[in-house]
Amino acid sequence: MTAAAVPDEAFVAGLARLDGMTSARLRALLRGRTGRQAWQAVVEDWADETLDRLAAADPGLRARWRMATLTSDLVEAAWSDCRRLGVHVLVWGRPGYPVALLHDPSPPPVLFARGNLATLDTRRVGIVGTRNATPGGRRMARALGRELAEAGVGVISGLARGIDGAAHMGVRDVAEIGGAGPVAVVGSGPDVVFPREHCDLWEWIASDGLLLTEHPPGTTPLPAHFPQRNRVIAGLSELLVVVESRSTGGSLITVREAIKRGVDVLAVPGSLMNRASHGTNQLIADGARTVLEPSDVLIALGLDTRRTSTLPFDPRVEPAPRDRLVLAAFGADTLTIDELVTRTGNDAIASALAVGRLEAGGWLLDIGGWYAPVDHLGPWS
Amino acid sequence: MLATIPTAGVLGTTGQRIDVEVHVGPGLPGFSIVGLPDEACRESRDRVRAAMLSSGLPWPQKRITVNLAPSGVRKSGIGLDLPLAVGLLVAAEMLPPSAVESVGCIGELGLDGTIRPVPGVAPMVASMRADDLRMVIVARTSVTEARVGAGSTAVRATDDLRELVAILRGESSWPILPVDDVVDERVGLPDLSDVRGQPWARRGLEVAAAGGHHLLFVGPPGAGKTMLAERLPGLLGPLSNEEAIEATMIHSAAGVRLPSGGLVRYPPFRAPHHTSTAVAIIGGGTQNLRPGEISLAHRGVLFLDELGEFSPSVVDALRQPLEDLQVRVSRARSSVTMPADALVVAATNPCPCGGGRPGDCLCSEVAKARYLRRLSGPLLDRFDLRVAVSRPAIDELMAVDGGETTALVRERVDGARRIAVDRGYLSARIPVGELDEWAPLSRGAQVLVRTELEQGRLSGRGLHRIRRVARTLADLDNAGVEIEAEHLSLALRLRVDVAAVSAGRSLTTAIGALT
Repeated sequence: MTAAAVPDEAFVAGLARLDGMTSARLRALLRGRTGRQAWQAVVEDWADETLDRLAAADPGLRARWRMATLTSDLVEAAWSDCRRLGVHVLVWGRPGYPVALLHDPSPPPVLFARGNLATLDTRRVGIVGTRNATPGGRRMARALGRELAEAGVGVISGLARGIDGAAHMGVRDVAEIGGAGPVAVVGSGPDVVFPREHCDLWEWIASDGLLLTEHPPGTTPLPAHFPQRNRVIAGLSELLVVVESRSTGGSLITVREAIKRGVDVLAVPGSLMNRASHGTNQLIADGARTVLEPSDVLIALGLDTRRTSTLPFDPRVEPAPRDRLVLAAFGADTLTIDELVTRTGNDAIASALAVGRLEAGGWLLDIGGWYAPVDHLGPWS
Repeated sequence: MLATIPTAGVLGTTGQRIDVEVHVGPGLPGFSIVGLPDEACRESRDRVRAAMLSSGLPWPQKRITVNLAPSGVRKSGIGLDLPLAVGLLVAAEMLPPSAVESVGCIGELGLDGTIRPVPGVAPMVASMRADDLRMVIVARTSVTEARVGAGSTAVRATDDLRELVAILRGESSWPILPVDDVVDERVGLPDLSDVRGQPWARRGLEVAAAGGHHLLFVGPPGAGKTMLAERLPGLLGPLSNEEAIEATMIHSAAGVRLPSGGLVRYPPFRAPHHTSTAVAIIGGGTQNLRPGEISLAHRGVLFLDELGEFSPSVVDALRQPLEDLQVRVSRARSSVTMPADALVVAATNPCPCGGGRPGDCLCSEVAKARYLRRLSGPLLDRFDLRVAVSRPAIDELMAVDGGETTALVRERVDGARRIAVDRGYLSARIPVGELDEWAPLSRGAQVLVRTELEQGRLSGRGLHRIRRVARTLADLDNAGVEIEAEHLSLALRLRVDVAAVSAGRSLTTAIGALT
């Protein structure tokens, strides 16, 4: 395989395979770089602030990475694995990447996907809950999955034991009569089935729905992967329904991530005597909307159209009027703060603060002190 | 007969007392110097002989032995001519011993008997002062320098060996030394009001001056990086007496011309060229371990223009002094510690071609990577402030009125520095353990920090530096102890990611490739 034949995605897949690579590290590496450049930076051990910063956190990292890149052809291996398994590599900012995650506060830098990417082009509801579910909880999850899919709403879940699996089983129940496809976000490689008992469900989602993961083929599930996985579920969902959760459950991580993203959280109440409902009851006490029957979710969806469009809409919060004037002053140009001051006539401090706010809101991109206005589809569109 | 004349040499930035012992006795006529003299000391013999003969003084036809005590330390330099000649005259009984009792001498002799100045007189005299000398004799042009180190010891000077002998014999009296007019060195110093536009870069200067933060300007050629940096010393207040003496000693030891009053009263500004060697910047050398530019910039500003063009070893060698505020130079025979508390201002192009603005650069990735490697990460990290500078617009260049004057900005800087004095540290020096005490984060600032950390754009160490800069910004605004989100946000804007400037082009090429 010649270097020219390798698409940029392959380099990202290769980077994702490095030992000690995390989502945050990969995101930092790909900031302002193409996959190929990021790969070169690691291989050629560039003097680079991002790499230095990573190395500061883990002193042996640079050397380990370099060794790994020198001793095996990770890019080729990762890319051929992906092609063999029919895995799409979706890189942040490149075509095909889920629009809902484009402006996530911590978007996955890369997603490995199996199945049909169009599955996400529907209304989407996340259903999560405990692995140690009660039979009643499982039944409720399955009913929710069934009714939502029947109404054409995509069900997003984590494919774990208990509630997660039950929700997708509900989706499968109505697959034959043309319900919406399932979306699963998992914490292992797209070819590493976990848990084993969901083998059928896994393969069915990978062929008829969409199976997403941040991990390259061959990655085994580690405990640290799951909280990360939960944030992706939260980021993809328009609404999040918690069916059963203990007061310290992993589902509450998903809830926290959802709240951070302004995604409404709904909860199914349960008996006070049932430990598996303590978390959900508490959510209701804290003001989460209550789900007494599946249609409550549909009603909630009907009221909220903010994140519904499947067209590439702009999820960014509109800047305040004074900042909008600053943004307008940029036009299509890349400017330093000094140049901005010249254009607007505002004082330097006000300008710097405005730039800070616009940058945080995703309207400007900081390129080493130069600021470039960003289109809502990301800097590469 | 035997005579002992005190004098001194220089090692690093301090003087080293040397006693020149001259013995003139019977034996075959001859002249030998012992006590580890270097080549210049040994040549002293010929200079002294010629100078004495030219001054009409007979050369004793006896066995002359000179010892330089302490005899175990290698001596270097040329300041030994005068003490040698005087010692010889006493030992040969051409001068009364009482005339030179507890009198120190420093100076080089010309073949015609003129007494010439040598570098390092201030620290030399300071090292001799401890031995209650009653007077020190130096060359006339060294007088102001000698007085800095002399304290209460009298400084006497004459230009000619013949005249000196006459004075010491009591046939003549010491010439009256003129007192130099103290000229205000600030007059003629470049003023900030000359800078047109660039309010943000000026802000960077102000913060650097107020908090003692090292500052890096990143920008294309012609953006005025040098012009800005030259105006930084003006923003720093005059040196305290103690600081002035420290700085003067270093300048004297290095043989740098001192200002008219003799004392370096204002922060020095040193701008070594990028071809300078590590020894030139850090200090050292084989013999007397001369102070380097970083020490010469002690209590002032060290400006490194074209930081990326400096040799990587030089840039790396700067790290330790920046951390410890002093340089330790060790050689096989000696090791010295020299003060090096300088504010470093550097300027660099974002890449070798100097394109500057993202998208304008023409460099290859390899060339750019090599360039950035020189700005080693650890050094880059020392710059709390990194400010992107762009070429000023035509309108700004044509503007009649400049920005604020140096005096105006200095008022704010002085205010912030006064707060720092109460605190005990300049904000750049607040220890990590005390950041929570001096720069606690407000609620809003915490949110901002969390976002930056989550985005992977800030490291733990970077955060400490940002907090210190935010502290300075708050001090400039005379704000409370808690750091507000606003100041933190400004601090973040004052610390741009240098590697990302290069990525800017990658970004545009990536856009080009896709569309």
